[in-house]
Amino acid sequence: MRRILDGVYRGAGFVAGAMILGICLLISAQILLNLSARIFGPVLPSTIPSYADFAGFMLAAATFLAMPHTLREGAHVRVTLVTDRFGPGVRRWLGVAVLVLVAVAGGYASFYAGSLIEESLRYGDTSTGIVAVPLWIVQVPLVLGLGLFTVAALDSAIELVRRPAEPRSCKAWKI
Amino acid sequence: QAWDMPTPYGDATFHTQNIAQFADDLREATDGALDITVHSAGSLFPHAEIKNAVRSRQVPIGEFLLSRLSNEDAAYGLDTQPFLATSYEQAQKLWEAQKPVITELLAEEGLMPLFSVPWPAQGLYTNGEIAGVDGLGGLRFRAYNASLEEFAQIVGAAPVQVEAPDIPQAFSTGQVEAMITSPSTGANSSAWDFVSHFSPINAWLPKNIVVVNQRVFDGLDEATQAAVMDAAAAAEQRGWEMSATEAEEKTAVLAENGVEVYAPSDALMAELLDVGTQMLETWEDAASDQAKSILTGYQSN
Amino acid sequence: MSDPVTALVLLGVLFALLASGVWIAVALGLVAFVAITLFSGAPAGLILATTLWGHSHSWALAALPLFILMGEILLRSRLSEDMFSGLAPWLVKAPGRLLHVNVLGCAIFAAVSGSSAATAATIGRMSVPELTKRGYPEGLILGTLAGSATLGLLIPPSIILIVYGVATEQSIARLFVAGILPGLMLVLLFAGYVAVRAWSDPGLIPTETLRASFREKIRASRNLIPVALLIGGVIGSIYTGIASPTDAAALGVVLATVLAWASGTFSWGAFFEALMSATRTSCMIAAILLGAAYLSVAMGFTGLPRNLAEWIGTFGLSPYALLAVLTLFFILLGCFLDGISVVVLTTSIIMPMVTAVGIDPLWFGIYLVIVVEMSQITPPVGFNLFVIQGLTGIDILRIAKAAFPFFLLLLLGVILITVFPQIVTVLPDAMG
Ligand code: NA
Ligand code: NA
Repeated sequence: MRRILDGVYRGAGFVAGAMILGICLLISAQILLNLSARIFGPVLPSTIPSYADFAGFMLAAATFLAMPHTLREGAHVRVTLVTDRFGPGVRRWLGVAVLVLVAVAGGYASFYAGSLIEESLRYGDTSTGIVAVPLWIVQVPLVLGLGLFTVAALDSAIELVRRPAEPRSCKAWKI
Repeated sequence: QAWDMPTPYGDATFHTQNIAQFADDLREATDGALDITVHSAGSLFPHAEIKNAVRSRQVPIGEFLLSRLSNEDAAYGLDTQPFLATSYEQAQKLWEAQKPVITELLAEEGLMPLFSVPWPAQGLYTNGEIAGVDGLGGLRFRAYNASLEEFAQIVGAAPVQVEAPDIPQAFSTGQVEAMITSPSTGANSSAWDFVSHFSPINAWLPKNIVVVNQRVFDGLDEATQAAVMDAAAAAEQRGWEMSATEAEEKTAVLAENGVEVYAPSDALMAELLDVGTQMLETWEDAASDQAKSILTGYQSN
Repeated sequence: MSDPVTALVLLGVLFALLASGVWIAVALGLVAFVAITLFSGAPAGLILATTLWGHSHSWALAALPLFILMGEILLRSRLSEDMFSGLAPWLVKAPGRLLHVNVLGCAIFAAVSGSSAATAATIGRMSVPELTKRGYPEGLILGTLAGSATLGLLIPPSIILIVYGVATEQSIARLFVAGILPGLMLVLLFAGYVAVRAWSDPGLIPTETLRASFREKIRASRNLIPVALLIGGVIGSIYTGIASPTDAAALGVVLATVLAWASGTFSWGAFFEALMSATRTSCMIAAILLGAAYLSVAMGFTGLPRNLAEWIGTFGLSPYALLAVLTLFFILLGCFLDGISVVVLTTSIIMPMVTAVGIDPLWFGIYLVIVVEMSQITPPVGFNLFVIQGLTGIDILRIAKAAFPFFLLLLLGVILITVFPQIVTVLPDAMG
């Protein structure tokens, strides 16, 4: 179970990384087309249709899919100055409480992100640019990422309850 | 009742000023019973989200650019069809033909149109005068939707996608050499900093629309409903007048600041109208019967 | 409920959440949720979904992960080390020595990027480890970085000037030009502060052992060629129009990768590490931006900033008094909201007041940017603080303390452009 979950978080993180690489490649291709249009004139097509839209969609996917991985690696920032004054026992149970609260918030956000997709599907919403992309498709990473984030928060809370002896066991909330 | 109303454009835009007046009128007519707070410049929701926010009753009322929905149904995009309606009279006629269909389409999403106001007619911004369509050939032309991309291809220009805030930079670096937009947008973005010539070719008059959520509207008492409809009718009429004044004033502003404003030659206009006819055929291929009925209604009138 | 009570309740919730160590992004979102649920009739959940979606797929934001990736690549190649060894012999006699790399590096990078978070992340990624290794004092490393990175907003291109220009219909080209001199003024103030600190406390700055002859300096400068190519390529692409300012970030990544390979110290493994680290950092920043956007929408619904601005308007103040009060107002709001939100939420109310007393809206735009720069380094909600905490793991309150002198310098900058408005207006006026 542990390995499956860690694999899923990391897998989603890799997809997020691939999306950022995708943004980079897409924009680079557009820059090459600009350059070619300047030097050789209209030999190649001058634009990648809706490339700004696609870059935006990939950015959204990268942001949300990276959330569980970022949480688990302890890369989301928080104020630790106050909590550092408490002993490890208090810190641990505070961590459990905070992670449960975060999971509730994540679940709430996932639920409403789901209802957003449901609406996009029901009304057949599309993007407004040159290429009409059905919005529900590009909104799926939102729900996936938030859902996995919720799982990751709960997972970390359970970890913190069960294995207090190994302080390193939970990077999301160090005690 | 207190209503929050997101709008996409800034307070200096006449659309926003018209809406502020609409809100004031309603407050007065209902003795403060209906109090609309206008959240301008996309401060509440980004432009792209406003329609859906009204649909799901996050806010009861909102404004957006009608042709943004043209990917959803071709009927929404008729007012941005190049050289179909090129004056306020024609735009008025087009809106009369368009309104029943759009009302029906929006009703499917639980929305009701209140009023719609056009931007001034779109003119051509370039560096140097354009005598005929071949003068556009080879120029890098700003295209931000499918129809402008098609337009660019027909006239032999190279379509370039540039986001609105990047326009000055894109012109000054030569990344864009021609664009079609309203004198308002040109004057408000100080077009004289980056272009030398403007020609009122009146390509089309795009409209903003204000919609209200049907269920929220139905929940109002009859007197308030009537007050909303009255204020909306007044806003529509006032908005069209403001738009016409705006067109004159902003063209004058362009000229005052050293932009050469020149009337398009007959040859250029004839060629552009041809392009318009050609593009209308593409439009018809993609349009539903319902959308086509707008066109027949408009053209038979 | 009255506004002051509402504000106190929300502040209480925010401080309680932050103090318990709730992640900042989530804490901002929770406060927004409380604000909408308790103090407005709007549906909090649907609005959350709309905001998360609407603000996450923005084109302007797409440059952020790319600039961060560029910094990660430079860090993992020899290029960032080379940059410091190339600059060291030149700065060895300057009071403050290599700390000026932070100031100048941020100023140069500000000409490439429109955001202060990207500036802090990219420059900080390289300079913090290098300066720490060389024994510079932590306070000044963090302070110069946090302070100078705010220049990303003022030196063109600038996202916030675009937002202001669009909202108030000011010429964006003129705003960009107007930002140049104030930007240079702040560079001088920051560098001057570093020099004064170095003079007043000779033991503060570690000695650089190198005492190079002019020829050796030139030889060492060859190390600067790759970085110069990188910066030149990116800036060049923007000013020839081959790339928009957002596009330029992608070019930065490509050039950095090519140069890193060419320097012979880069591998696929390092590239992969750089990519994943950039993914996490940009996720962290984007999450906070989304939390802040939700809070900003919540503030729009509750009307707190709007009412506060309207209240200021009722006093009928003279221009200088109005500016003094507005500065306080923006500093206060800037502690809790991100800078762009402050501008967007209050321009409707503030612009009429400002133009009514005869303040030039172009000048006001630059004033606003400097004030917003201050908000980037004030706790609890300051983006540069978050970014630097992400880089170093040091708590934001400690970073905020290190950045406080730079907050005061920015305030001095505001006073200077108020007393000498020509600093802002002379260049745009010269445009004709
Ligand atoms: Na900048
Ligand atoms: Na702040």
